[in-house]
Amino acid sequence: MTDLSPAHRKAGRIAALTIIMFASVYAVLGSQIEYSFSSDPIGPRGFPIGLGVLLAALGVWYYLDTGACEDWPDRRGAQAAALFLGLSVAMMLAMPYIGFIIAMAILLTGVARLFGASWPMAFANGIGQAVLWWLLFGPLLGSHLPKGPFGF
Amino acid sequence: MRLMSFAASIAAIVAMPLAAMAQPAKTECLAGAKPGGGFDLTCRLAGMALQNAKLIKDPMAVTYMEGGVGAVAYNHVIGTRPNDPGLIIAASAGSALLIAQGKFGKHDENAVRWLGSVGTDYGVIAVSADSPIKTLKELIEAFGKDPGAFPVGGGGAVGSQDWMKVALVAKASNVDPKKMRYAALEGGGAVTTALQGGHVKIASGDAAEMGVLHEQKKLRLLVVMSNERLPGALKDVPTAKEQGFDILWPVWRGFYVGPKVSDADYNTWVEMFRKLSATPEFAKEREARGLFPLNAFGADFDKLVKSDVVKFRQLAKDAGL
Amino acid sequence: MSLDFLWQGFGVALQPSNLLIGFLGCFLGTIIGALPAVGPINGIALLLPIAYTSGLPAESTLILLAGVYYGAEYGGRISSILLNVPGDAGAVMTAIDGYPLARNGDATRALAISGISSFIGGMLAVVAMTFLAPLFGLLAIKFGPAEYFVLMVFAFCTLGSMVGHEPVKTLIGCVIGLTLTTIGIDATSGAYRFTFDEPELHDGIEFIVLVIGLFSISEALILLERQMTGVLKPLEVKGKYPSWLDLKTITWPSVRATVIGFIIGVLPGTGASVASAVAYTTEKRINNKDNTFGKGDIRGLAAPEAANNAAATGAFVPMLTLGVPGSGTTAVMLGALMLYNIQPGPQLFIEQPKLVGGLIASMYVGNVLLLILNLPLVQLFARMLLMPNWILIPGIVALSILGVYSAYSSVMSVLIMFGIGIAGYLLRKLGFDMAPIVLGFVLGKVMEVNLRNALALSGGEIGIFFSSPLAIILWGLALLVVLLPWWLRRRASALAAGSP
Repeated sequence: MTDLSPAHRKAGRIAALTIIMFASVYAVLGSQIEYSFSSDPIGPRGFPIGLGVLLAALGVWYYLDTGACEDWPDRRGAQAAALFLGLSVAMMLAMPYIGFIIAMAILLTGVARLFGASWPMAFANGIGQAVLWWLLFGPLLGSHLPKGPFGF
Repeated sequence: MRLMSFAASIAAIVAMPLAAMAQPAKTECLAGAKPGGGFDLTCRLAGMALQNAKLIKDPMAVTYMEGGVGAVAYNHVIGTRPNDPGLIIAASAGSALLIAQGKFGKHDENAVRWLGSVGTDYGVIAVSADSPIKTLKELIEAFGKDPGAFPVGGGGAVGSQDWMKVALVAKASNVDPKKMRYAALEGGGAVTTALQGGHVKIASGDAAEMGVLHEQKKLRLLVVMSNERLPGALKDVPTAKEQGFDILWPVWRGFYVGPKVSDADYNTWVEMFRKLSATPEFAKEREARGLFPLNAFGADFDKLVKSDVVKFRQLAKDAGL
Repeated sequence: MSLDFLWQGFGVALQPSNLLIGFLGCFLGTIIGALPAVGPINGIALLLPIAYTSGLPAESTLILLAGVYYGAEYGGRISSILLNVPGDAGAVMTAIDGYPLARNGDATRALAISGISSFIGGMLAVVAMTFLAPLFGLLAIKFGPAEYFVLMVFAFCTLGSMVGHEPVKTLIGCVIGLTLTTIGIDATSGAYRFTFDEPELHDGIEFIVLVIGLFSISEALILLERQMTGVLKPLEVKGKYPSWLDLKTITWPSVRATVIGFIIGVLPGTGASVASAVAYTTEKRINNKDNTFGKGDIRGLAAPEAANNAAATGAFVPMLTLGVPGSGTTAVMLGALMLYNIQPGPQLFIEQPKLVGGLIASMYVGNVLLLILNLPLVQLFARMLLMPNWILIPGIVALSILGVYSAYSSVMSVLIMFGIGIAGYLLRKLGFDMAPIVLGFVLGKVMEVNLRNALALSGGEIGIFFSSPLAIILWGLALLVVLLPWWLRRRASALAAGSP
């Protein structure tokens, strides 16, 4: 690919370096796996070390030939993604305390907002879907979803 | 009509949780694995029998928390639900083995309250149906002479119950357990197929699972690792003691409750299981699942588990783990 | 072998009450299968005690459970195709070509085609099972660790088809998938690998967590990005059913995939995910001349679906002939047989002809019922896509979370899913495919465990990998797969050179 823009090449190279770093850490940790003994000659360390070295080598290849890559989101896009992920993680962490329905209603209201719903529509959607999914997975399918302070 | 009663039950199951919302479900059994595994079986055995014997009113809920052969559930109960009086958690001899090896995290066997057992299985050693080896003694002699000629298959990793059972046989043959050609296969089913296909020469497993195949002459059991011979299909299989070797491997199945459950609640459960064990409904459910009787409740069971952990610690040390 | 048991079986399965039970099972199964992570195991675990306590006879119970099992295999594809949320392990490959079709307005056609190829796969596999079950039972026994390892080598060779114009990205994806399988307790030595003292990591990264993260969460992020730049348009649903040409196009791919799926399904050490992966990559290897796979090629949709259903049927073979479960779900069904005091094994065909016959006959009936049930429902399901994005995408997010949470009751698993989703999004932006990661993951564990088990059994001798005729045949097939495209190209150029 000769018509690769500098920004795209840079992104690819950062990714390649990340992969090489991940592979090295992985291989080093792999070589330190503790075990008393293994009945096979390869042992539990063999695959991690081998795969780590292979991945690092592939990372070098990738660095030299980064290939095509898509444009990265602009600032607004990145903010939206951060908002979505932040809200998801926050609600998942809060779910054991505030219960499935409340956590889900807040999260889904937020997601609906991000996808262009007005506030009332987003609220209706969030609460409606939270209750619907809870009914389906909880009482009907017998999953134990976390209960909040109000008993749901 | 059966179909009608079935349809009614479906309706009841759907309606039940809705009704249960008003009064929270009282009893719950936590299985530390996927549905369909050994812990699930233990939970369902208790739940069904307790309800059939009318010791509990509403069906016992079975929940699943997979991870580390019960380790995740163990840590979860101690950490987040230590005082839930309605919660019992399935456990087995395998749990005690993992605790002994420190594989349940930072908690040891004293971190929960051991409740009681619902039955037990026993370890067995099998060879293929057409093997020239007919007794444990012959196996031990042949194995001692040429361990390399006997690839071994078990349903767990090095250090697991299946591995330990053959390690005991290896030790009786003066073979270093580490020198065994041992393949850790994926569960008992894989072990018996590998034995039938000739990929392994010795198979390590449990009586309930392999007894069926012994009866069908698909493989030959050389020994049951119990104190006395087992009833039914396995009555012709001698114990290790009969053959002059001191090898025992009971695989009990039972329950524990959280560490902060009150004495009163704990005792209620113990009494419930004690009563249950005397009912014919329970015996029927237990037999249907291939388990043999083992009545140990409350303090007795606590003692059993803790002595198992001590025993397993020693065994692991002896095997060089 | 006489087929009396089958005629008796049809007598049982076609009784009105059993027909109704079968229908109920199929219907419940389809719904359960469509929900991610809630698979046939949950459905069966839920229904078994009810069936048992309400005194349903053994053969009716088995028909019910088989219906759920079958329905789930059909249902698993629905969320794969419509939402890129794989409904179960076997439906992952379905998303690769199915989801692009749905995005292009062809949801109805994609669902109908997958239903038809599921039918082909399921039906042919039942026929194979009826006549050849004992033979295939023997095949399952012949597979030891060495043979499984060579089978995985073969599978990796079919992966050659995934290498596009950027081979390094395919290879990196595949190796990343492989590295993920090494997390958790080592099956051979019991060592704790990359668990960081966290019990939730003891069993490693669950397949469903990986695929929902890679497919659904990354998709949600990409859709969000398009929403922000204003290029996300509401979907259209043409409502067009497949044409005769479509059906002709998918016939041979479905048949080939059925053969692959059935054989892999019979082997207790592999399952529907391996079967559909190998069927997909094989089909791509044969037919991806114009680089249409992965962009909505109906052959890439039909192959994994046919294989998936064939594997589900194949898994019954070791259960019925050997008394050994071929998959997690059949393990639960085996438990069901035990509850009724029925011992599975080769004698089952002789001692319980009504039961075995009823079960097999119910598979024929079930497949037909499911096809009839599915084709009209397809329109209904496809129409779900007409909902506005602000309803649809929160739905995808909710299903992803619920799929993982209800399976593992753990917030940690959900967070891992989001982490994998972010990584998947970044990789997709960088031009990586998700499929090689999934394939590396599916094949990696089977490969490592069997390589090491084989070497443990042989005492380190490499010869064990060439010691059986079966292993040598598999090496031959692997070589064939590697050489086939090269040979086809040579022949094509020879023809081109000869024609003018």
